[in-house]
Amino acid sequence: MGTQDSSLKSTKKFHKQNILLIMTVLFTLATLVVGALVFRFYMEDFRKPSEAFIYDKYYVMITDNYKSDFWQSIYKGAFEAAKPQGIYVELLGQNMEGDYSCEQLMKVAIASQVDGIIVFANENDEMTQLINEAIEKEIPVVTLYGDCTKSERLSFVGVGSYNIGREYGRQIFNIIKEKRREDFIDSKTMSQRKTMQIAVLVNTDSQDSGQNIIISGLQETLDQENATNSEFNISMVPVDNKNTFSVEESIRDIFLSDEIPDVIVCLNELNTVCTYQAVVDFNKVGEVNILGYYNSEAIVSAIKKNIVYATIQIDTRQMGQYCIDALNDYYEYGNTSQYFTADITLINRHNVDSIQDMEESDE
Amino acid sequence: MNKFFNLPLQQKIVSIYMLANFIIFIVNIFLILGINSMAIDMGMVYQDNRMLNELSDSLTEVQDNMTLYLSSKTSDSLENYYKSAQSLQTLSEELGGQVTDVTFSRMKRNIKFMSQNYLEEVSQTVEAKRGRNVEKYRTYYERSTELYEYINAYIDRLNNEQFISNSDRYTEIAAAFQTFESISILVLSLVTVGSIISIIIIVRMMIKPLKNLAISADEVADGNFDTILPEIRYHDEIGIVIGAFNKMIVSIKEYIIRQRESMEKERLMQEKELTMEAHLKDAQLKYLQAQINPHFLFNTLNAGAQLAMMEGADKTYEYVQTVADFFRYNVKNHETEVSVREEVTLVDNYIRILNVRFSGDIKYEKQVDERLLSINMPTMVLQPIVENAVNHGIREMGDKGIITLRVYREDNNVCISVRDNGKGIEQEDIDKILSGDWSKEDGQYDNNGIGMDNVVSRLRIFTGREDAVMIRSEGKDMGCEVIIRLPLE
Repeated sequence: MGTQDSSLKSTKKFHKQNILLIMTVLFTLATLVVGALVFRFYMEDFRKPSEAFIYDKYYVMITDNYKSDFWQSIYKGAFEAAKPQGIYVELLGQNMEGDYSCEQLMKVAIASQVDGIIVFANENDEMTQLINEAIEKEIPVVTLYGDCTKSERLSFVGVGSYNIGREYGRQIFNIIKEKRREDFIDSKTMSQRKTMQIAVLVNTDSQDSGQNIIISGLQETLDQENATNSEFNISMVPVDNKNTFSVEESIRDIFLSDEIPDVIVCLNELNTVCTYQAVVDFNKVGEVNILGYYNSEAIVSAIKKNIVYATIQIDTRQMGQYCIDALNDYYEYGNTSQYFTADITLINRHNVDSIQDMEESDE
Repeated sequence: MNKFFNLPLQQKIVSIYMLANFIIFIVNIFLILGINSMAIDMGMVYQDNRMLNELSDSLTEVQDNMTLYLSSKTSDSLENYYKSAQSLQTLSEELGGQVTDVTFSRMKRNIKFMSQNYLEEVSQTVEAKRGRNVEKYRTYYERSTELYEYINAYIDRLNNEQFISNSDRYTEIAAAFQTFESISILVLSLVTVGSIISIIIIVRMMIKPLKNLAISADEVADGNFDTILPEIRYHDEIGIVIGAFNKMIVSIKEYIIRQRESMEKERLMQEKELTMEAHLKDAQLKYLQAQINPHFLFNTLNAGAQLAMMEGADKTYEYVQTVADFFRYNVKNHETEVSVREEVTLVDNYIRILNVRFSGDIKYEKQVDERLLSINMPTMVLQPIVENAVNHGIREMGDKGIITLRVYREDNNVCISVRDNGKGIEQEDIDKILSGDWSKEDGQYDNNGIGMDNVVSRLRIFTGREDAVMIRSEGKDMGCEVIIRLPLE
């Protein structure tokens, strides 16, 4: 009996040892396998190449200052319009060392054999030549915002300068009407009525035809609104934009002169910001009415504070989209519309809140 | 599993060793492969930068050679220009031409096309120079130089950007390497622990039967053949040894049983032999008894005595009567104890018979304290002593021999002394007799068959004392005295 018991016990013990041995071996193998797998997955995960989407076409956008909100916004519009169509749009200059002019960037774009160029052009000969060179190399060129009429550019995407001018004109007339009202109240001084000085800030180095169109639009509007010549006097104030900091200096110079204009019309974002800052700095808020350009955050907040009288909002996204449409039309049909005009909206203190709300809801 | 355990011990040990080593080897291979792949990754990190630098160098070389050729128009510089242009071409072709979300790839694409454009411009410049078209080659030179600068700018930017991103990646890889290290150490440790445990278990399983065998062997050594025989689990050497041991134990057990049986048989044989001997002795005794029937003898002698009396031969009558009495003592006396008186009477009768046989040559003196005659003593003691005294002491002395029998009291003992004045006896012989070493010589006269050693030992047993018998002899021809001491209670 005892013998059977002990033999049973030893068998049990033996089985226990067997199980322990098998478990240990399995454990060892499992550790090996798990270790290898963990490492493998870890490395695979680690080595996974960032999945890059390959695009069919490659367009570049060339601007004078890729950092500005205005251009960034247009670029965004173009980028978003292009992406679903398998086209990559790059804001050229972003990825290059140093600052390059539009002409230099044109050369880069041509040499890079891109599929399309969207360029903030001007009327000078070099640009014309470069655009023609690109066309020669079968790279379609769309001029954006600034046109180069003499060139063989495919299409121009702009903002309808004449309309802008009209819009400015209407605003100036509003200011004149206000002044008339004030003058009427203060009728004693009727005889010494002052002519309203309107200064339009124009770039010195640009042969931008748009500026002139704006001014003529402005003038025509005032004429149509029956503002008399004695009531206003438009002058062009050149702003030196040849180097980075000269714009601000030029604008401050206006405020240092004897006669500070009553209305300052700014035709770009930078001018608007500089003027608005100068008005604040020289304590001329309320005396000088700024008609701004573009709806950057700073400008919109200035409208809210009544520092800027009104600003032109340009549908930048639409502009970007038009650029892509023009290039795509070219590839699809061989031709496209010569002009694309983006919508503009005026923002003043009456509609600033509603427009901002709309934008916020858009985003 | 069993297959493994059935392997020979040597193979088993070797395979365990090999398995453990193999596992560690695999782990090491994993480690080496891992380290290798990580090292390759690390090496690849700055590959792009190296390539870009190469490209940049090549580009500069083309530009330099072109400039040199334009300024000096040496054939060396032309040759160098072709070489470098070729290498730039090759290098630029290696850059991917795809447009992707990744900035780097687009930059590479641009660099590629610009380089190719640049090479075209350069070749046109060189062509123009060869054609000595100064105006043209100057223009081309300017254009290509401008492109060269743009490309360089691109490359610099890309290089910088990639360096930053590569540095990040390097940091990532370094971190991954550390993770890998930790994982490896963990895996290696666990595997090592696992191997050690497995080896311990396997070795224990191998050694366990040996231990059991040792325990069984110890038990067997202690004489327990009924121990549990160790089980044979596997047919390795240990299994063989255990099998042999078990066989040995079984056969030892069988041997013991056989041995026991044969001993039993032998014992039975011996018993039988002994019984036979006893029976033979008995038969011999019975035969002897039948031969000398004392009753028959006594009755015969008694009849002889009565005849002598009827014939009036008084002396004959008396002699035969004495002889008859002598023998009657033998007949009746089957008890072990008798009184001293009876013994003394027997001695009297014996002397009387001897004196008739030897015509009264023996002088017999008796000094007996009558009060002591009633105490008990062993039977057939005095007569043999007297017979010895006659035979060995005074036989050849004729009528000068004297036998003195005394019964007297000494302290608390009854002393019975038988003394002769015969030949005497050597002390050496006395010692021999008393110690029972006396051996009868051949042809020596024998008394009734009761030897001195018998007498001495019976007296010693009766009295419970070693000095119950004393033999004294004062030298040659000075006689001998045998003294018996009986306790007076």
